[in-house]
Amino acid sequence: MHQLLPLGTTVQSASGHPCTVETFLGGGGQGEVYRANLVDRVLALKWYFPEQATPAQRNNLEVLIRKGPPSAPFLWPLELAAADDFPGFGYLMPLREPHYKGLVDLMKRRTEPTFRALATAGMQLAQAFLDLHTQGLCYRDISFGNVFFDPETGAIQVCDNDNVAIDRAVDSGVLGTPRFIAPEVVRGEAAPSTQTDLFSLSVLLFYLLHIHHPLEGRREAEIKCFDLPAMNRLYGDEPLFIFDPHDEGNRPVPGLHDNALAYWPLYPQSLRDLFTRAFTAGLHDPEERVRESEWRAALGQLRDTIRHCEHCGAENFHDVGRPADEPFACWHCDQGLAPPLRLRLGREQVVLNRDTELFPHHLDRLRRYDFGAPLASVQPHPQHPQIWGLNNRSATTWVITTAEGTTRDVEPGRSLTLAAGVKIRFGNLEGEIHR
Amino acid sequence: MAIRPGGELATRPLHFIWIADCSGSMSTDGKIQALNNAIREALPLMRSVADDNPNAEVLVRALRFSGGAEWHVKPTPIGEFKWTDLRAHGQTDLGYALNMVAEELRIPPMSERALPPVLVLISDGQPSDDYIGGLEALMHEPWGKKAVRIAIAIGEDADTDVLQQFIGHPDLKPLQANNPEALVRHIKWVSTAVLKSASSPASQAAGVPLLTHMPLPALPPASDPTLVDDVW
Repeated sequence: MHQLLPLGTTVQSASGHPCTVETFLGGGGQGEVYRANLVDRVLALKWYFPEQATPAQRNNLEVLIRKGPPSAPFLWPLELAAADDFPGFGYLMPLREPHYKGLVDLMKRRTEPTFRALATAGMQLAQAFLDLHTQGLCYRDISFGNVFFDPETGAIQVCDNDNVAIDRAVDSGVLGTPRFIAPEVVRGEAAPSTQTDLFSLSVLLFYLLHIHHPLEGRREAEIKCFDLPAMNRLYGDEPLFIFDPHDEGNRPVPGLHDNALAYWPLYPQSLRDLFTRAFTAGLHDPEERVRESEWRAALGQLRDTIRHCEHCGAENFHDVGRPADEPFACWHCDQGLAPPLRLRLGREQVVLNRDTELFPHHLDRLRRYDFGAPLASVQPHPQHPQIWGLNNRSATTWVITTAEGTTRDVEPGRSLTLAAGVKIRFGNLEGEIHR
Repeated sequence: MAIRPGGELATRPLHFIWIADCSGSMSTDGKIQALNNAIREALPLMRSVADDNPNAEVLVRALRFSGGAEWHVKPTPIGEFKWTDLRAHGQTDLGYALNMVAEELRIPPMSERALPPVLVLISDGQPSDDYIGGLEALMHEPWGKKAVRIAIAIGEDADTDVLQQFIGHPDLKPLQANNPEALVRHIKWVSTAVLKSASSPASQAAGVPLLTHMPLPALPPASDPTLVDDVW
């Protein structure tokens, strides 16, 4: 239902270039988004409804354009645009890549990513919001509609960045999207800030991993008409985590909240503890909320604990806190699983699957999370495919000590055979393979 | 292999009900044809809004009223909803129609748990029966009270006082459609923006007064005053 700019209209970018409106992409509460062509570059053009095209919005956009994107996943405003024949203004931003899917697609199961892709998407989300908050900016409207992900790799893109603002500096009037708004904002006690972004991020991560909202349990089931007063009660006045360890009053109801019941027990205790903190202490005290760096580490660890069931192939999570002798069955086929071969790296553990790769952050705690180029990967022996090894894809030589005490060099490009008891020195960090 | 447990995000039903005046006067000046056209125009947009909404299972139905009233389309998932043309003749039995809506909003057949229903009343004239009784029956039902009620007045002869009573909120006025373009715009607005806010409200702005118990988006731009009366 586009009505602001007819297709074919030419608007002027702030840098003085003509920009032609090509197709309508979508509309929202603030305006409409079009695909547009700026001097042979295809971009997205958002045009505001007249009542939303305020001087405050314009000033905010100018600040954002001057600052530039916090990191690559942000489809950030590039420049303002105006037109002689149409009131108001708009801005240009990069176009979302077509293979990225919306979180609505995930919620409606129109895309079925692996747990690995979802954990990666969660890590990247946490990293993106860390980058944003580090710049002194807050997002204020984290929700399903603003985040897109690549179901193959878990790479993300963050859209609708025009409401981003300097933390606690500007009151743009945006409160957020119901179901994602922090309880103190729902109650009208606080304005959106980086602290309330942290709550919204936790909700988004819970949705990502459970296809369910963390506060929708028995209390939601008891609501007949799910209108705004009901939402305000559930998400603002009387929020209670569905898995609160000290209050069972809002447990998921079988038949209504089955996803929550199906997913929650699959995850390692450490991740469940983090969600518990986010939605118990963190519900009421913003200072207790889980920080982006904590989510990033926890989801990185989640990614590293994935092990494939040798019977059905389903991804399971190896809980490093679980006693090794406790029997463990695949959630999908229910067959017993032996503990997987793992690489212990300091306090962290990485399960060694046939497709495991190690990245810079695994081998050097100070390195940034970057899934671009692996430093090691599990590979079969070229002549003996039943033997698996860890291939050195880094530029440095590793030194291994076998269980028998022999030391060997593993030059770049060479592999070591995976066996329990082998110790590997990767530069500053030593790892040990164990089962 | 991508295997994950569970199903889609849990949804609640959202009942969207067109209540269309098919009295004889709707047959003049192509009004009923314009209404048929406007709803057809809006359907793909409505589908796309429903498609983007993970929280609601949108069920659409339509009631026609003239001399008496009858269900024109039974509750249908939005993905399968097809519009068949309405024809106009006879009286304007709005009261009869509202009684029938009230019966459908009773529990059962309505489920106990749902999103607020959306009722859209479209009329060009004055009720010919006891509409007050019908409205009381509707408002007697909890789901009737909780419904987001919108009214569209077609042409200058529509009784906006009656439509205002149906809406039941002084700050929310009937939408005036004096020409087919305005009708298309209003129908599109209710089938997209109102549908969206009744199920999964978009981001909320501070300081915006709530017109109903669900936040309603800004009304569509007012029709061009030079167009008023031009067409019918």
